Amino acid sequence: MTTLAPRTLRTRRVLLGAGAAFAALTLAACGGNVAGGADAAGADFPTGPVTITVGQDAGGSTDLIARAVADGMAEDLGVSVPVVNRAGANGALATEEVAAKPADGHELILLNASLITITPLAVSDDEAVSLDDLEVLAGLSQDDYVLLASADSGFETFDDLKQASGDVTYGTTGVGTGSQLAQAVLFAQAEVEGTAVPFDSGSPALTAVVGDQVQVATVQLGEAKSQIDAGNVVPLLAFSAERNQFLPDVPTAVEEGYDVPVSQYRAVAAPKGLPEDVRTRLVESIDAAIATETYRSFNENNLLTPHEISGEEVTAEWTELAEKYQALTDEYDISLAEG
Amino acid sequence: MESLQNVLAGFAVVLEPTNLLYCLVGVVIGMLIGVLPGLGPAATIAILLPLTYGVEPVTAIIMLAGIFYGAQYGGTITSVLLRLPGEASSVVTVLDGHALARQGRAGTALGVAAVGSFVGGTVAIIGLTFLAPLVAGFALDFGPPEYTALALLGILLVSTIASGARVKALIAAAIGLLLATIGRDAFTGAERFTFDNLSMADGIDFVPVAMGLFGLGEILYNLEERHRAVHAPGKIANVWPSRKDLKESSGAVTRGSVLGFFLGILPGGGATIASMAAYAAEKKRAKDPSRFGKGAIEGVAGPETANNAAATSSFIPLLTLGIPANATMALMFGALLIQGITPGPQLVTEHPELFWGVVNSMYIGNVLLLIMSIPLVGVFVRILRVRAAILAPVTALITMIGAYTINNSVFDVLLVVVFGAVGYLMKKFGFEPGPLVLAFVLGSLLESSLRRSLLMFDGSAAGFFTRPISATLLVVFVVVAVLPLVRSVRERRAAQNPAQDRSAQDRSAQDRSAQNREEESV
Amino acid sequence: MRTTEPVEPEPTEPEPTGSEPVEALADDAPPAAGPVANLAACLVTAGVGGAGAVAAVGLGLGTPAQPGAGLWPLAVSVAVVVLSLTQAVVGRRGGDGEKFSRYSWLSLAGLATLLGLVALLPVIGFEIPALLLSLVWMKFLGGESWRSAVLYSVLVVGALYAVFVGALGTNVPHLF
Repeated sequence: MTTLAPRTLRTRRVLLGAGAAFAALTLAACGGNVAGGADAAGADFPTGPVTITVGQDAGGSTDLIARAVADGMAEDLGVSVPVVNRAGANGALATEEVAAKPADGHELILLNASLITITPLAVSDDEAVSLDDLEVLAGLSQDDYVLLASADSGFETFDDLKQASGDVTYGTTGVGTGSQLAQAVLFAQAEVEGTAVPFDSGSPALTAVVGDQVQVATVQLGEAKSQIDAGNVVPLLAFSAERNQFLPDVPTAVEEGYDVPVSQYRAVAAPKGLPEDVRTRLVESIDAAIATETYRSFNENNLLTPHEISGEEVTAEWTELAEKYQALTDEYDISLAEG
Repeated sequence: MESLQNVLAGFAVVLEPTNLLYCLVGVVIGMLIGVLPGLGPAATIAILLPLTYGVEPVTAIIMLAGIFYGAQYGGTITSVLLRLPGEASSVVTVLDGHALARQGRAGTALGVAAVGSFVGGTVAIIGLTFLAPLVAGFALDFGPPEYTALALLGILLVSTIASGARVKALIAAAIGLLLATIGRDAFTGAERFTFDNLSMADGIDFVPVAMGLFGLGEILYNLEERHRAVHAPGKIANVWPSRKDLKESSGAVTRGSVLGFFLGILPGGGATIASMAAYAAEKKRAKDPSRFGKGAIEGVAGPETANNAAATSSFIPLLTLGIPANATMALMFGALLIQGITPGPQLVTEHPELFWGVVNSMYIGNVLLLIMSIPLVGVFVRILRVRAAILAPVTALITMIGAYTINNSVFDVLLVVVFGAVGYLMKKFGFEPGPLVLAFVLGSLLESSLRRSLLMFDGSAAGFFTRPISATLLVVFVVVAVLPLVRSVRERRAAQNPAQDRSAQDRSAQDRSAQNREEESV
Repeated sequence: MRTTEPVEPEPTEPEPTGSEPVEALADDAPPAAGPVANLAACLVTAGVGGAGAVAAVGLGLGTPAQPGAGLWPLAVSVAVVVLSLTQAVVGRRGGDGEKFSRYSWLSLAGLATLLGLVALLPVIGFEIPALLLSLVWMKFLGGESWRSAVLYSVLVVGALYAVFVGALGTNVPHLF
């Protein structure tokens, strides 16, 4: 309890407890985390810790990004910025919970673009998450997908893969992920026939392609780079719009004539209805965080391409991508929900 | 020669005072975390990750590794004393560990577990030192068909773990498999049995199920039982295992080390299957298998050795291939990335001091844990002297709050209570929770591997038999499933034949009485 | 060899050490649950299996080459039903489990307080509900004196706060 930032003593508040055992208790709240008051919003933000919720388990790339940003923000805001992992339903659970919290700037969420742009193609309508209840504060970075072939498959280029059409098995990182969408659309456009084998996440999919259990798989570059460098897998294509700075020799799908720009983007968002001054302060602190040397080298180490755009740009970009993916899957008659 | 130099240089790294200190801090934290149900090593490492930013990479990983294997030691304590398994790999320890505690032999169980953990951990580190590059490929040879066969073998082991009514154990196991299907289907995105509740979209977590069925179910049952049977608190004898206990366990420890080392290399579920396989192996080897579940010391020694060996060997895929085998390893992967080191196939050649420093720190860490365990066993065993009326709410509250910390979710706390009620009812109706919990753990591995295999083989089952490892495992499956049948038929025949020699007759008579006992309880 | 009498747990260890408490327990063993309980339990599990099977068919079965979401749950559900019916026959004479007694109300009361804790946890944090639960369990379910119940409850909640909020900094809802 020593390093917790200057904490203003909150007003005494009367709390009605349920149950017959105690009727009413008068308490000087001094650090509880329940029943957060929206009353303090605006005046002198922040009045307490700013929590960033992550819809994925600790240790994954989304979690690491949240923690890297949180460090910088804590320094700038002068309060602690804890990262809370609330995994479930691809992040939909966390997003729904944060969207329902008071819009006082103390509750933020780190969003994955795929949850908004791709997952709705695979799940029922009432589970699809949209940006309507959220206010996006800033875009952070872009994590590119690469199509990898196992060393034993003998594929050196995408053309080799096309020759093998018919008995290709390809690993994806799960239903409703960028990995699934990118491969499904690419193979449809290139008229490659194959069977999708969904894995639970990037790491088992990568393991499967390294061990030649599937011939190809698409995973995020950050996870795959060391295996590429070791020669255990061969990168065939990148799904970014432009060549990835960390893989300058690997062609993009777009270059090869396939219209499948798929990347994972991350952004910070808050519940809708943030007071203007709070919003400005938060954006300022995010800008400060991503300008730090530590954060820059974090991006570099994790092979993340900075994609630092404003909240409005994020909303526009993600909405456009969602429409594009919808159109692509309609055009090629692809259903992400059928494996 | 060069590698030997690296090994020795690794020891020099470990013996630096800072690294020794962080190693000690890591194992102490890990042990304490292991004692708290719910809060696992992965969550702890996530919380403590920022502490490691300021230190050298090797120091950071030494500490985080210490937390991980230290937690394995600590987890045993709650399994034995309070019947609260914190991880899937310590579920089987509960069966005989808690039975021993109820007989006043908690110290024996904890002592043997500590020694077994030490031996298992150390054997696995030696294996890691000399075999890591050779066996790493093992993890890659395991594709979906192999996991299917392994999970099938695991399910078969579940049924041997039951000590009471056989059919009821199978019902419990089948319900465990059914519970494992809850959640969004990983292949079609369809919601299965979730009742449109987003909290269930990823299925239900193992920890609330195990803590509810075992821990809370037992607590609720004791509320009732305490009033009926006034039994003196079991006298706590033999705080430290006797020479005889250790001798009885030595075979189990040896077998557990080997099983744990090899199965632990497999990403996903290796440690759990290792602990089950060790238990089943001991039960099969025992002259009187009916002792198991009622306080057989080998039933603690085998699985506890195996899960520690497996915890250690799960570093092999991370350090040699750059593949994290479980959630904790994924965090270590992240911690290394933050430090600017990418774990991957080149780690050993590019950062030998890191690799050998971490590996060698585990020798020291295991020694530290053993030294700490000896006095702590005495301390923890005293928990059992606390009056039940006071211990019960304390355990219940720790369980509830611990359940919240797994995923910051009130829903998980509710699940613990629901499964606590189910556990109580199962006890009243003569069902065992063990098969349910273990089948639940293996259920999703079995289903998803099977479906992945079918996709790969285009719907044909023949593919399972053309791959050497899966074919071997399936043969083992058949042997394990059929052999006991054949043997019992042969022994029944032998018993009818008076010309048989006496020893065979004795053995079969013994087996038969064990069988009859089982039949009676059906 | 079959017998309808409740089975006495065998002394577990061949050697004399440590087996006395088990025998002591066995002496107090409650009456077995009996045939009705067996049938009821089997009907419940069979019902769970049946409901699972119906829901699984609704999810779509697919083909072996493209298994649907419901194929595996259907297989497991059918296994539950078949095993439950087997047990209903095999265990028709009863023999395991134990009867509910009037003390079973204590377990039910304990369960109710736990549910209360779950309901209040997100609203007012863990401290007050935990204190109340601890008091109820110690005083009413456990028969401690008021003095020790109050003393130990306060100590326990204080210790939990110190560990989970103070030392570990977890996000457990807490009021203070």
